[in-house]
Amino acid sequence: MLFGQPKEGLEMTKKMILVDTSKCTGCKACSAACKEWNDLPAEKTTLVKSYQSMKDFTPNTYTYITFEEKYENSKLQWLFRKAQCFHCSEPACLKACTSNAISKTDYGFVVIDREKCIGCGYCVENCPFSVPKVDKVANKASKCTGCTDRVENDLKPACVSICQPGALDYGDMDAMMDKAKKRLAEVQKKYPMANLYGEKEMGGTTYKYILLDVPKAYGLTANVSAPLSLTLWKDLIRPVGTWAMGGAAAAVLVGVLTNAVKGNYKKDPIADQSEPEKGGKH
Amino acid sequence: MSPSFGRGAMTNSWSDLQNSECFLIAGSNCAENHPIAMRWINKAKEKGAKVIVVDPRFTRTASQADIFAQIRPGADIAYLGAIIKHIIDNKLYDADYVSNYTNALVKINKDFKFDSGLFSGFDAKTKKYNMDSWAYQLDDQKKPVKAASFDDPDSVFSKLKEHFSRYTFETAENISGIPAAKIKEIADTFCSAKPATILYALGMTQHTTAVQGIRCYAIIQLLLGNVGKAGGGINALRGEPNVQGSTDMANLYNNLPGYLPAPNHTDKTLRDYLVHNGSFQQKHIVSMLKAWFGEKATKDNDYCFGYMPKFNSGVNASMARVWDLVNKGQFKMVINIGSNSLVSIPNRAVVRQGLAKLDMLVVADLFETETAQFWREPGVNPADIKTEVIFLPAAFVYEKDGSLTNSSRWIQWKDAAIKPLGDAKPDLDILDLLYKRVKKLYEGSTDPKDEPIFNARWDYGEEPKAIKVLQELGGYDETTGKVLPTLADYLKAPVGAVSSGCWIYAGVTGNGNLAAKRKNDDPSGLGLFRNWSFAWPGNIRILYNRASCDANGQPVDSKRKLVWWDAANQVWAGNDGADVVDKTKGPDTPEGKQAFRMNPEGIGRLFAAKYTSGMPATPPADGLPPIGIRPAGVCNDGPIPEFYEPVESPTENILHPQVSSNPAVVMPATLPEVQKVGKKQDFPYVLTTYGVTEHFCAGGITRNIPVLNELMPEPFAEISKNLAKKIGLNDGDKVELSSARGKVQVRCLVTDRIQSYKVNGKETETIGMPWSWGFASLSPGPSANELTIGVIDPTAGTPEYKCCLVNLRRA
Repeated sequence: MLFGQPKEGLEMTKKMILVDTSKCTGCKACSAACKEWNDLPAEKTTLVKSYQSMKDFTPNTYTYITFEEKYENSKLQWLFRKAQCFHCSEPACLKACTSNAISKTDYGFVVIDREKCIGCGYCVENCPFSVPKVDKVANKASKCTGCTDRVENDLKPACVSICQPGALDYGDMDAMMDKAKKRLAEVQKKYPMANLYGEKEMGGTTYKYILLDVPKAYGLTANVSAPLSLTLWKDLIRPVGTWAMGGAAAAVLVGVLTNAVKGNYKKDPIADQSEPEKGGKH
Repeated sequence: MSPSFGRGAMTNSWSDLQNSECFLIAGSNCAENHPIAMRWINKAKEKGAKVIVVDPRFTRTASQADIFAQIRPGADIAYLGAIIKHIIDNKLYDADYVSNYTNALVKINKDFKFDSGLFSGFDAKTKKYNMDSWAYQLDDQKKPVKAASFDDPDSVFSKLKEHFSRYTFETAENISGIPAAKIKEIADTFCSAKPATILYALGMTQHTTAVQGIRCYAIIQLLLGNVGKAGGGINALRGEPNVQGSTDMANLYNNLPGYLPAPNHTDKTLRDYLVHNGSFQQKHIVSMLKAWFGEKATKDNDYCFGYMPKFNSGVNASMARVWDLVNKGQFKMVINIGSNSLVSIPNRAVVRQGLAKLDMLVVADLFETETAQFWREPGVNPADIKTEVIFLPAAFVYEKDGSLTNSSRWIQWKDAAIKPLGDAKPDLDILDLLYKRVKKLYEGSTDPKDEPIFNARWDYGEEPKAIKVLQELGGYDETTGKVLPTLADYLKAPVGAVSSGCWIYAGVTGNGNLAAKRKNDDPSGLGLFRNWSFAWPGNIRILYNRASCDANGQPVDSKRKLVWWDAANQVWAGNDGADVVDKTKGPDTPEGKQAFRMNPEGIGRLFAAKYTSGMPATPPADGLPPIGIRPAGVCNDGPIPEFYEPVESPTENILHPQVSSNPAVVMPATLPEVQKVGKKQDFPYVLTTYGVTEHFCAGGITRNIPVLNELMPEPFAEISKNLAKKIGLNDGDKVELSSARGKVQVRCLVTDRIQSYKVNGKETETIGMPWSWGFASLSPGPSANELTIGVIDPTAGTPEYKCCLVNLRRA
């Protein structure tokens, strides 16, 4: 089978990947499989904290596992979370993209067309999870592709296919949601704080998580949505502004909002941390 | 396991883990080192199974546990002893199982004693036990005498009860650091689940009390009636894809293939060997000699038994000890294949010095490992080293045909996926070339000592074929030259009429290459997968499965039926192959009662007694020593497990301070300047070493794979927050770890996953360090084995990698 050519006769339905952190052992095989399949070079690292070896995504690292050690009442929880692009239903990156390089496939994966990408970085600034990264040399943004070259050929994404403990599961969105809810009810018996992350966030995401603790314990924010500035800019001001406003007023407003979109008003680190709409570091 | 059940192998299988109701994972970090285990454990968890993890650190496996207990390294027997006492005191044992399938009722010799840390028969000078008193009472037919009830003071059961009466939960807490309430919780959880299984690996075996720790597991599982059952058993997880295969092929120095005992210097003839090892071995050793020497091995020449090298039974030549012998100058040359000894051997200074004393070192590997370039280690001056080093490029696993035997005893065939790179060759080709070259060099020799070289049957082809090797293991009918169809055909044939290079593999190539079978249907739903590859022995998937039935041969667990006696057809039938002496002998026959047919008694051994079955009632008339059928496996340090402190311990043994560590342990003393034992005053912390999932064993391969180096870039010292505070360290600071033998510098990883704990009332600290690094490769780093101690278990020869004493300071 040739990769890159969609297999004929495949049904184009929305897909979902369930990351069941109750089964994840933090073995990082998903990271290795991702690098192998996408032919990404290894990076020089040192341990960041616990067994975590990556601080953030890079142009060459689309996925990594976060390790949180939570010790309370003489009980320890070692929380592992596979981080990668969530592949949002309402992707802020797509909306922010100035060159129509970002699109959503019929399966629900959000992909960047490197041919069209001009490396402007708007996707980077507007992703509430800070996922895409721009390679400064090639001047192209990159991130998890959802292994579209695999899924369009009826293969599971590389990370899913390698997962030995069965923490990653892939299938049609409806069936997977069903599975996720049943599994969540099961997991909540042991972890009362367990929740399904990605159901409401960003209009619903392709990668959804059964988290054992509140999203905050993983460095995530619940109910995250696209930055307000971006929504204003793309959905309201720009379409209206281009025909209703004229001259200087429009120019000023566009200037302010462009800066907001580019993140130029977010330099204050304290303000950064308290931003309610941010999805967290990862 | 062998002294308990008769075979030294994992009893169940990976895919059987899904059948369990409860897991005790202790001495194994399977999520880290056997990721595939978690697939099946997670399936069981989905059905409600409970997971108990006992470990010196909160590991990746512990993250999946319902109950986690942090234990002091090396204190396992203390809490396991308390669990045994709990089972006996509260009558939680399966009385039918224990009476029918174990030696609980057998009477023990009246001379047997245990006093102040010593079993009867100890010789303080040689540090060895005379095991004569660890025997059964025998009747005039030399058969073991059975007591009428468990309460008989001579019965094995009474001996156990008495022995473990000292192991209260409170004593166990004082020794192990696990709170008494938690030990009770573990005991209650484990004992109330049926079936329940135990998983262990090197965390349990790398101690000077290795075998006795596993014996505790065997006793617990026999008492609870968990052995021989789906979802039960003791799963000894094999750390490498083919560890089981390599042990089957005799990678232990005192074994021959198929776990035949290696002959020692007193075995001048085959008869001498059989006097020592029993007539049961005759068929197997002869068929092995037929495989090695073919038609040259005849009854008249003792089947070439004289060709075999004999080891001196007074010399321990286990892996760690071989380097003492190298240092003593007993070897001029070492061929090192598939091992990175300079990283993996404890107290590695011994290897470093030994390698420099050789005339020649040959290393076959994928990469130039630390061992291959020992002369380049920082601090070593190449000009001082006379050893000639030859490096042979070896092919990787995917570049060669052959079989791998996994932990489940499945012999799995695979074809090469790609051709080896460059000049690299499969190990088989390397050895084949070597043999053919050596044979040529000896051409024309008339010296009788060279005969084995000429007379060897070496017929793997011009270009050697791995399938020919597997066929040799599976065996031939030596009269027709045809491969043996089945294990039964092998067992039926007269001595000398068949060959098999490893008798437990007999039949593997009988009806085609059974190891290559890949049908993954599972009609029973029990994960037996009997049409996927071939499991030794005879494609039995769960060992001792006769014990899953009651005395009438009917399954006791209706949800997990493995085998049963089919009275209508007069045969043992089932979802699995029955592990019985003879499939046509029903449960009312002596053979049909045996659940542990590889033990000479046919029963599980709670007490590892010295015993040989089938000894003649009267001595032979010819005056020669009598030959019995089969001697039982014994433990060199006692028939019942006893807790001893590690050789380097932070405390005294509160059970018997005068005999603190294992009395049968012999201290290595070849290089006194490096083979030192540290004192707790100088080295107050306990060091434990382990692997990480991102790197494999000594890292010879994985540290040369950039992606894996990205995922786990460096070795580290894991320390508790208390210890960090005490020394004034922050996470990531550089520290120096030192032991009586060496020191290393690494960054510290300050974590809640190790907590300070109390041992005998005193605050104690464990430090953890992964051992997979060395000075070479793309990711060089300090080796933990610079620090470890080279003392070994007196039975298995495993070194005490899991505990030694160290000091810690800011570097």
